[in-house]
Amino acid sequence: MDFYQGNVLRIDMGAMTSAVEPLNMDWAQLYIGGKGLLLRYMWEEIPPGLDPWSAENPVFLMTGPFAGTNVSTASRLVVGCKSPVTGVLNDSYVGGSFAPELKFAGYDAIIITGRAARPTVVTIKDDVVEFRPAEPKYWGMKTSEVEEALREDFDPKAKVLSIGPAGEKKIPWACVSTDQYHKAGRGGHGALLGDKNLKAIAIRGTGSVSVGDAKAFLADLRRIHEQYVLTDDNYWVHEEGTPILVDLVNGAGAFPTRNWSEGEFEGAGNLNSESFQKIRIKKRACYQCALACRNFHGVEQGGEMVRGEGPEYETIALCGANCGVDDIAALMRFNELCDEWGMDTISTGSVLGLAMDLTEKGIKDFGVHFGEVDSYLKAPELMATRTGIGEELALGSKHLAEKYGVPELAMEVKNLELPGYDPRGTFGMSLSYSTSDRGGCHMRSYPVGDEIITGDEPADTMEGKAAYNINGQNFSSMKYLGIWCDFWAIDLDQMSQLLKHVWKRDVTEEELALAGERVWNLGRLFNLREGMTAADDYLPELLLTKPHKRGPSAGRTIGKDVFAEKTMEYYQLRGWDENGVPTEEKLAGLGVDVRL
Amino acid sequence: MPHVMISSKKCTGCHMCELACSAYHEGAYRPSVARLFADVNPTTAEIKGHTCLQTACAKCQDVCPHDAIVTKRITIAPKGDFASKEKIGDSVEGYALVVDESKCTNCGECYDVCPTGVIHEHPDRHVAFKCDLCDGDPQCIAFCQNKYVLAVDLKVDKMDRELAGA
Repeated sequence: MDFYQGNVLRIDMGAMTSAVEPLNMDWAQLYIGGKGLLLRYMWEEIPPGLDPWSAENPVFLMTGPFAGTNVSTASRLVVGCKSPVTGVLNDSYVGGSFAPELKFAGYDAIIITGRAARPTVVTIKDDVVEFRPAEPKYWGMKTSEVEEALREDFDPKAKVLSIGPAGEKKIPWACVSTDQYHKAGRGGHGALLGDKNLKAIAIRGTGSVSVGDAKAFLADLRRIHEQYVLTDDNYWVHEEGTPILVDLVNGAGAFPTRNWSEGEFEGAGNLNSESFQKIRIKKRACYQCALACRNFHGVEQGGEMVRGEGPEYETIALCGANCGVDDIAALMRFNELCDEWGMDTISTGSVLGLAMDLTEKGIKDFGVHFGEVDSYLKAPELMATRTGIGEELALGSKHLAEKYGVPELAMEVKNLELPGYDPRGTFGMSLSYSTSDRGGCHMRSYPVGDEIITGDEPADTMEGKAAYNINGQNFSSMKYLGIWCDFWAIDLDQMSQLLKHVWKRDVTEEELALAGERVWNLGRLFNLREGMTAADDYLPELLLTKPHKRGPSAGRTIGKDVFAEKTMEYYQLRGWDENGVPTEEKLAGLGVDVRL
Repeated sequence: MPHVMISSKKCTGCHMCELACSAYHEGAYRPSVARLFADVNPTTAEIKGHTCLQTACAKCQDVCPHDAIVTKRITIAPKGDFASKEKIGDSVEGYALVVDESKCTNCGECYDVCPTGVIHEHPDRHVAFKCDLCDGDPQCIAFCQNKYVLAVDLKVDKMDRELAGA
């Protein structure tokens, strides 16, 4: 079979067994790969209403058809589950080299169920799957340590997917790591793997991925790369990477500062792209990516060098400005600590910013203050190990703010902390967050792109933003079937040129647009089935009603009424009823093959 | 002789070269049998490239008891832009050391002496396999060289040029 391996590896942690079964190719036709296949498997495999913490709740590792080929950026892996944090679907994407290695080992996907009696490491060498005790050696290790140890003990060329100590302690924002700096960050997959007592999967694949006529494919890819990937429009990815956003977003008054109390950070100039370029050592790439967006930095902090990839924009926003920290070396260290302990930086920075806010407002003294670096750098370990203040912070923003009677201070949607764009400076992001299928997330639709980066859309109106977000969500869904990365500004025509090689026929842009919308609707059905309602499509009220006092976005608010009106418009344009439920007509038109 | 080199400093660790190499030679993507490779430590970002130096090394040829490593004259003309183009022009004459599979007995002598570890037993055909410069259009260069990254490149030294009569 070309592009697909046709195999799914099932791992039962409870029974310590594995089995291989054929990939459902009917679903692959309809849902292609990545997000689509993931959601279709989730629909089938997760009993409706399942407690996310039950041992039965599977964690899925899904690839796309192009992983393990020369198609730029398509090496991404999606880690999926019914999130123990949000109670709805969570698809979290990660680069690095794990997905291609999984393909070379002969699988398109892994489905992990059950809970091991003892901490365990799984090793996979092609068709040999082994379960090894994680104690005493691996359990408790930080992410770089467990990767290194498994390369030493199992295979020097192994690719490792692991959790840090935060995952072992089931911190709600524990992430899944691979190649050290690459994180499937959001939604608590790390906590779920910790609950399964699965510390790491090390994989080595020596097989092949077929693509039909390889020489013809190579020749076509050279053309596609030259025409569409290595273009001036994509060049910022290599030249600067995501820190380019700091000046842009700060300049728009949308940079979350000191727990979202301001939209402009006076210290942003110390954390912008120019500042990071001064400490850049090297450019790094994910597997099979010509763009190489990753920046490897080095700087002295506290008398010792801190070296590593990142931080990326969201980390700079949430762990920098949102904590009032403009010390680039401290931020580098903080990022390293989050990587090593295995925590998502968006939620870590958000929860810590909230704790600083509660402290400064005199509501509860957590001993952390905006801009105060010593306590800031001690926080990640406390949070990851549930010690000291970490015990309470592990509640996450929503429950922590509720506990202290100030729910309005929690910046989350569906219990997932918001990333680094304040909707008061970019109105379209309000609906992007509220209607995102996995909760507070910026990767489903991205009005920032036109409201801030290109300036093609006005940032201070909700007119047209329902449609804008719908288009963005459908398009991202299609892109995440590939699985292409956001940093290649790919379009449907380019996707069709690539998928032509997979399906051995001409592919139209229309059918791909339909595939994206189909997947988005499937996700909505899943969330509704699991108990979500229209009431969950909310935005923190403060972001709608309380204007910033100063900065570029001062005085602007969306207002609750307009937001409610636009939410209804969003449902209507989606072909959903007033409760946000897809109509039969819509589902039939899209060819969605399941029903509530 | 013209040969492929990977600049450890410039290499981003994307492995595009290994992918293209394997697809070209194996008819499918299989980087575990690529003719060159980059060792990448993901944590430290230390990268070490491994490529065949062809006749500039020739240890495999020297040690082969069956004369199975053959010198093949070749015109190398990488398509598109590449860093060495200024020095080399559009093409350069040279030699590649290639395996004559009818003579190779898989004795393994060459595997042991290769200083860069790029000649091995093929997992399916059980003979040695190595870099042959892709009939003059090295795929590793094609999939690396661009205006962003210039890590895998063709190297030619002065003596090589004289040898090749260039």
